[in-house]
Amino acid sequence: MIKYYNVSKEYTPGARVLNRINLHIKPGEFTSIVGQSGTGKTTVVKTLIGEEKIDNGKIVIGGWDITNISQREVPVLRRQIGVIFQDFKLLPRKTLFENVAFAMQVCGGNPRKIKRIVPHVMKIVGLEKKVYRYPQEVSGGEGQRVAIARALVHRPKILLADEPTGNLDSLNAHEIIELLLRINKFGTTVILVTHNREIVNRLRRRVITIDNGQIISDREKGRYLL
Amino acid sequence: MFLSIIRIIKFSLQDIGRNIWLSLVTVIILILSLFTVNMLLVVKVIGDTAVDAVRDKIDINLFLKSESGEEDILSLKTKLANLDEVKEVNYISKQAALENFRKTHANNPEILESLREIGNNPLTPNLIIRPNSLDEFDNLINKINTFDDEIIESRNFTNYKIMLNKINFITEKVSKAGLFLSTIFLFITILVVYNSVRVAIYTHRREITIMRLVGASKWFIQMPFLLSGIIYTLFGLIAVMGLFYPFLTLLQPYLETFFVGYNVNLIQYFYGQAHIIFGLEFIAVAFVNIIASHLAVRKYSSV
Repeated sequence: MIKYYNVSKEYTPGARVLNRINLHIKPGEFTSIVGQSGTGKTTVVKTLIGEEKIDNGKIVIGGWDITNISQREVPVLRRQIGVIFQDFKLLPRKTLFENVAFAMQVCGGNPRKIKRIVPHVMKIVGLEKKVYRYPQEVSGGEGQRVAIARALVHRPKILLADEPTGNLDSLNAHEIIELLLRINKFGTTVILVTHNREIVNRLRRRVITIDNGQIISDREKGRYLL
Repeated sequence: MFLSIIRIIKFSLQDIGRNIWLSLVTVIILILSLFTVNMLLVVKVIGDTAVDAVRDKIDINLFLKSESGEEDILSLKTKLANLDEVKEVNYISKQAALENFRKTHANNPEILESLREIGNNPLTPNLIIRPNSLDEFDNLINKINTFDDEIIESRNFTNYKIMLNKINFITEKVSKAGLFLSTIFLFITILVVYNSVRVAIYTHRREITIMRLVGASKWFIQMPFLLSGIIYTLFGLIAVMGLFYPFLTLLQPYLETFFVGYNVNLIQYFYGQAHIIFGLEFIAVAFVNIIASHLAVRKYSSV
């Protein structure tokens, strides 16, 4: 599904953020990428969604070589990868329904399709009864679930979660991880980028550990090493 | 596609609405720019009318003695008509001059009463000479001065050339000042539109981030801001049209009083040419605004 071949990236000359990264994530896998701050985890996310270009190597997603992806093709790539972040990135003046619908509207989705799909994804994340509330009227965990619902509207093959529990208490964080596992069960490849030791250890799924821009460990049922 | 265009228009109007005061300032600056440009046009129309009015009056009057014989007058008329610089010579007899005088002063009973009191016709016959062109006016005067016919009583050589030069000078100065003002306003417009779009992008940075994240095309993200430039132009132009026609209605009576007997109808002119004047202004200003918006979008939209 996702293949990195000797991928290197440096923002300033001499300071490599990613150093000859090789990884292969299979379709339907649940993979955690862990590491301390500044080790290159977010750069992996950025290169995966075409936000950053790599200096060397090759990145292939679902058979599509995105190494030299053009600006025109980036939106097409992003519709195939759902992304959620620590800060949810919700629009405060829109209801939860409108926030999710917004993702479809800006990509040209027709109103009938939006009316059909949005309630469906809101049901998946368990917020079907709160669709007319505003982001500030729901808890942090619910806000993140809205972000997940938004990431799901394009039915992505990959769901990329960059520190999704960073702003949540342990109970809400646990609920979000449960939701990600449920989405993974439907066949979506989930990549969880985190430095939350407890969550990673409890998951008992594949763990890739990055340190100083290099993969120092890749285990099928791994634990948080650092 | 159609749906996307509708959404782009909606987002663009949202951009304008969320920064309503800034949008208002932008439109006001546009109104000032467009108003100045249209004032330039008004000056041009008035200037042209004034020049035409003076041109129309360019003639030389040769007043002849009352007792001049018809034969002598016609002989002088032929001599004058044969000059290269002369376009035509009209003979106004004593009787015709009196009739013209009565017509001109038909609304002035005091003058007509005075004429009646005099009893006989006090006017003299005259020859009205029209030059071929204004450039030959001086030559013609010199030649006419050499005519020493005894039937000539007096000559009226008002120097219209000086008057025309003055009108042209004033029109040119006003046009230059207007052009200078328009350029300044245009420059301010570019800066204001650029800034408005920049602020609109700033207030929408969260939306832009989300749009980029969920896979909206670059075109879809940037178009609402470019469209804002066109919408500002449209609002500005509608406002100028709404202000300009009442302004012309107020100005028109003064012009009619000033140019009595001449057809100077600014309202008619601006109605007749509206599609060209305002169409061209829309295209030009929209073009400038799109460039300003494009520069702002290119620099700031990659949130």
